[in-house]
Amino acid sequence: MAYSDKLLDHYENPRNVGILDKDDTGVGTGLVGAPACGDVMKLQIQVDEDGIIEDAKFKTFGCGSAIASSSLVTEWVKGKTLDEAAEIKNTDIAQELALPPVKIHCSVLAEDAIKAAITDYRSKKESKSEAAE
Amino acid sequence: MDGPDSAADRAPAEEVGIIACWSCKGPVKQVNPLCETCGAVQPPGQMDHYQRLGLAVSFDINVADLDQLYFDLQRHLHPDRFATRSPRERAISQLQATAINDAYETLKEPLTRADYLVHLRGMGVFPEGCNLINDQALLMETMELREALAEAETTDQVDVLSVRAQDDIKVCIEQLSKLFSENDIEGACKLTTRLKYLQKLAEETRIHRMKLI
Repeated sequence: MAYSDKLLDHYENPRNVGILDKDDTGVGTGLVGAPACGDVMKLQIQVDEDGIIEDAKFKTFGCGSAIASSSLVTEWVKGKTLDEAAEIKNTDIAQELALPPVKIHCSVLAEDAIKAAITDYRSKKESKSEAAE
Repeated sequence: MDGPDSAADRAPAEEVGIIACWSCKGPVKQVNPLCETCGAVQPPGQMDHYQRLGLAVSFDINVADLDQLYFDLQRHLHPDRFATRSPRERAISQLQATAINDAYETLKEPLTRADYLVHLRGMGVFPEGCNLINDQALLMETMELREALAEAETTDQVDVLSVRAQDDIKVCIEQLSKLFSENDIEGACKLTTRLKYLQKLAEETRIHRMKLI
């Protein structure tokens, strides 16, 4: 099976591998998994005061397509607002990386991960503002 | 008194119907791959993997019994036995052999058996099977263990993780047995997912260890 150059590039030179401090209130963490293949994916975003994602990191244990999908998403979300980032669809990821049909679930996982990270950031911010009142 | 016709008692077949043999039109129990009257091989038909092999539906199975039932069936369905038969019967025997292999492969391993049993008992409740996960504790545990494995630089370090994974797998299978016997399908589904992650971890420890040697 031939993989696209973009996919191989993200797999061989993954961008933004690493971790952010999950206890930082400006950080949202999404942790998701695909049991069928035993994959686990962590995607984190650092959000500034204006609600712009200034940094993103990921750590994925899974196949090449899962690594490439999460790597691509961290690149895409940087500089975006939360609402813009939440609009990323798995089909966009799958198309960009030309994922073969059997690997579509990897892009679904990456979409789930960014959504989970945004949800985590928002719920942290809410509980912080509640605590401040 | 009838003795058992194989290593294990065959499961009661009341719920499985009687069909007409395609060749001699005589009655055949649906669970039988061969016609009792004319010996013609019968199409696989719709039945679950347990029925197909003649086992009672349970997570706890005796693997020696399973092997015996499987080998008995395969012996009767070996392609050589049908070499001189009609093309139609040869084709049907292939379908039978495939269906029996499928059933055997699924029931042999605890993980695939658990997955199948959740599906069999919880159909409609878990349309995705045990393939969706929202168990954050399991994900965190998996992430930590996979990170520890990625950082392991000696075979000793890998072995610690490997032994832990094997122990966890053993405990998980024991717990699955208990939950299935209590008919707690939701709990069993959750543990099946955990078993998938544990087996994946065990596999990764093997791969990582080979790279270090």
